[in-house]
Amino acid sequence: MSSLIAFLVVFPLVVGGLLLAVRNGKLRNVIVVLAALVVAGASVVTAMTFGNGNAVFFGLPNGLSLGQWLLAAEVAIAAFVVVISIQHRRILAPVLVLAQVAITVYLELSGKMPEVDPSRIFWFDRLAMVMVLIIGIVGTLICVHSLGYMRDYHRSSPLIKGRRTVFFCLLFVFLGAMFGLVVSNYLPLMLIFWEMTTLCSFLLIGYTRTKETVGYAFNALNMNMLGGLGFSVAILLLVNGNQSLDLATLTSGPATAALLPALALLCLAGLTKAAQMPFSSWLLGAMYAPSPTSALLHSSTMVKAGVFLLLRLSPAIAGSNLGTLVAFVGMLTFLFVSLVGVTEQNTKKVLAYSTIGSLGLIVGCAGLGSPELIWVGVMIIIFHAVAKGLLFLVVGTIENRLYSKDMENFDTLLSRLPLVSALALTGIAGMFIAPFGVVVAKWTAIRAFLEIPGWQGAALLVIMAFGTSLTLFYWGKLLIKVLSMRSVSEYELSVQKRITRFEWLAEIALAAGVIGIAAFIGVISEQVVGPQALATFKGTSESFLHVQPVMLTTMVVAVLFLPALALWTSRQKHYDMNDFYAAGRPVTTAGVMGMALGGSRTVSLRNYYLEGVVNGGLVFRAGTVVCGVLVIAAIAVGMVAR
Amino acid sequence: MTLNVNPVVYGILFIVLAPIFGGLLAGIDRITSARMQSRVGPPLLQPFYDLGKLLQKDARQVNPIVEPLLIGHAALMAVTGAMLLGGTDLIFVAFVFALAALFLVLAAGSVNSPYSFAGAERELIVLLASEPFFILMLAAICKVTGESSYQGVLASPVWVAWQLPGVLLAFTFVATIKLRKSPFDISTSHHAHQELVSGLTSDMSGRLLAYVEMAHWYESAILAAFVVLFFNWSIPLGLLVFAIAYGAEVLVDNSTSRAKWQLVLRSTWAVTLLLVGGNVLALFLIK
Repeated sequence: MSSLIAFLVVFPLVVGGLLLAVRNGKLRNVIVVLAALVVAGASVVTAMTFGNGNAVFFGLPNGLSLGQWLLAAEVAIAAFVVVISIQHRRILAPVLVLAQVAITVYLELSGKMPEVDPSRIFWFDRLAMVMVLIIGIVGTLICVHSLGYMRDYHRSSPLIKGRRTVFFCLLFVFLGAMFGLVVSNYLPLMLIFWEMTTLCSFLLIGYTRTKETVGYAFNALNMNMLGGLGFSVAILLLVNGNQSLDLATLTSGPATAALLPALALLCLAGLTKAAQMPFSSWLLGAMYAPSPTSALLHSSTMVKAGVFLLLRLSPAIAGSNLGTLVAFVGMLTFLFVSLVGVTEQNTKKVLAYSTIGSLGLIVGCAGLGSPELIWVGVMIIIFHAVAKGLLFLVVGTIENRLYSKDMENFDTLLSRLPLVSALALTGIAGMFIAPFGVVVAKWTAIRAFLEIPGWQGAALLVIMAFGTSLTLFYWGKLLIKVLSMRSVSEYELSVQKRITRFEWLAEIALAAGVIGIAAFIGVISEQVVGPQALATFKGTSESFLHVQPVMLTTMVVAVLFLPALALWTSRQKHYDMNDFYAAGRPVTTAGVMGMALGGSRTVSLRNYYLEGVVNGGLVFRAGTVVCGVLVIAAIAVGMVAR
Repeated sequence: MTLNVNPVVYGILFIVLAPIFGGLLAGIDRITSARMQSRVGPPLLQPFYDLGKLLQKDARQVNPIVEPLLIGHAALMAVTGAMLLGGTDLIFVAFVFALAALFLVLAAGSVNSPYSFAGAERELIVLLASEPFFILMLAAICKVTGESSYQGVLASPVWVAWQLPGVLLAFTFVATIKLRKSPFDISTSHHAHQELVSGLTSDMSGRLLAYVEMAHWYESAILAAFVVLFFNWSIPLGLLVFAIAYGAEVLVDNSTSRAKWQLVLRSTWAVTLLLVGGNVLALFLIK
């Protein structure tokens, strides 16, 4: 096991280094595809080796020790941040990173660091297994997709200097860092991987090096460095309090008051990385990066690291005031971003709000903590990784064909890009078509909320009911646009033929994944997620594991219906189209209407964005303030508890 | 009610009998409306004659996906009712109910036409307005009775309506939306005099319109079944209350003009938050 894990962490880093040197496009394609196969294969082998599923702890292979490597890595990361910040004349990021290094150096020199147990550096259980599979399969598919996407991206944006060697290097380094993060048990080691993911996302967001994206990149860096600093201070507090730095030990049960300050700061780190309010703006800024970056940040890396840590902390914080506050930050974030989402027209941003909302639900579940809610959290992670990864890739493909990210320009997509529409519909169905996907998790969550006494239970129910309905509204708008039809010319249809093989491969594989998860939800729940939830809380209840056959049937039919309909339509060479009702004016099936005073116009239909009822900007600011207060309260509660 | 019958039987009975219930309700509705307007009105069975006529006519297909989507809409409505009476978890039913309604929106939206599209958008707004209510209503009913299935609630010794007066009051408000009655019939209308002609059904004819009509009958039956949940100690009383409430809806329908979508959304959310939210909060604080 330990050598497999070491391979998963080191191999992508080596491939990344190699790709930095490869300038030949064809050679790069070969390397990326082969490396993707190896990494995906290794992650599957790791999951299969795991066998009986009880948590295992282990150290580095061949008795290697961490030694001073952690300090060296920390200093290297800091030096890099300082240099790049000086180049761009930024001050906050270096301050944050130097504070972090100061803490690490102080701890090393003071000799207070407790002895590392060499056999408990890594922690592998079913949650880690789920994460490894997501990173290994979804993450590598995104790398393959990028091969096609980046070529077209640079063709359509000639002003942006292509740095694809760096881009592909970063993708693989990112995967390596994520593998390390999800199996770490020794907190200072996890911190290094944590900072590596921060750095990778910073560089990927700033890839185009325009003034705009550099600004967003530094925003992401600052917020995540703040979280990283919280992580460092948490380690400092633990060391000073003579506490263990072993994550599994810390989270083996409800935390003592002495642990709460450190846990509060670890929660802060998790909330920043999971882009919860008031830290949501960095993920929205990340939307300006090339689409595979978004797909990677949203599905298999970065934000998933945040919720992963919070799910790990759940048994320790659940039931405390800290846990309740964290849960409300998550649930209110879900409500606020869903409300902002209905006013958003940029499809990638709508997807981003949906991501932040889904993460909010996971955070809510982690903060409240119970076997049922952990089940919900892990289920959302799985559904969301596959479906949202697929959606971002598809939107990237559409963007390269239609030269727009605006939802309004996606109309009659089914007629123009029928196969792409089928894939998009699979992703949307995976995200929200009841009763599949995230909805199953929401349903279980509502069941769990009913058991929470007092005003909290009522508040959570109301938040869930309104938030869910809001997501229905923006997904519905997107569906209407994708599903609408008109007659198209041969030329418009030919656009679809220009999509690369890499893109088809990745998108079809992910779509198959969405359908596979729908079909095997019972097995996944009973074999993986259920036992994980019970192990986390040492529970014995099994009520939540049961999926009734009637639900399963509805689920598979519901997820297949729209994509199958789209495929069926695309197969029909000449289907019947008739002109629509236009109050007696002449109209064609392509949507051109004759005007009363002569001339003609093409029909243009725009969605409602609830102007005058919901002010998106105001809601976003309100949410930032409310959740900001709650985050400060959470940290204060943690500190006072001591 | 004899509870030793397998709930699945009730589910199947719903699929068979609900259209008859819905059709008769539509017939009574038309006669009552006519009397309110000093007309005699059509025969009681007129909705069934209309449906038969629609099914005989040619359907003018604007595009190839409207029909499958409408079949999906009607089928999902039937499945929602069957699940409800068949003993599926009530909160799960709330989600399927929303999906069923969404399919009608998608069918109308797929027609790239101004009238249908505006109707579809408004129906989506109406869904956004009413969906929080239905989730909260079913969650609250589960909370007070401690049950999760239809039969469980009916067998519960708790008198639901006494515990959930706010939710019941809000139900009469939100039902106006679901029954597409004025002032909340913003997305469609049986009469072609509104600014949207007939909104989301503008481009549906022949058997396509018959599917919409069928789905609406199922929907009415589902609403009646919901009302019975509140009066779980006596099913006849529940149906009687539904009849009275429906009569009131017809009266309101005939005496009000259509509201703007902003008003529909704001007022429904306010009612849901105040009446249902308040009721649920009280429930959680007391229990």
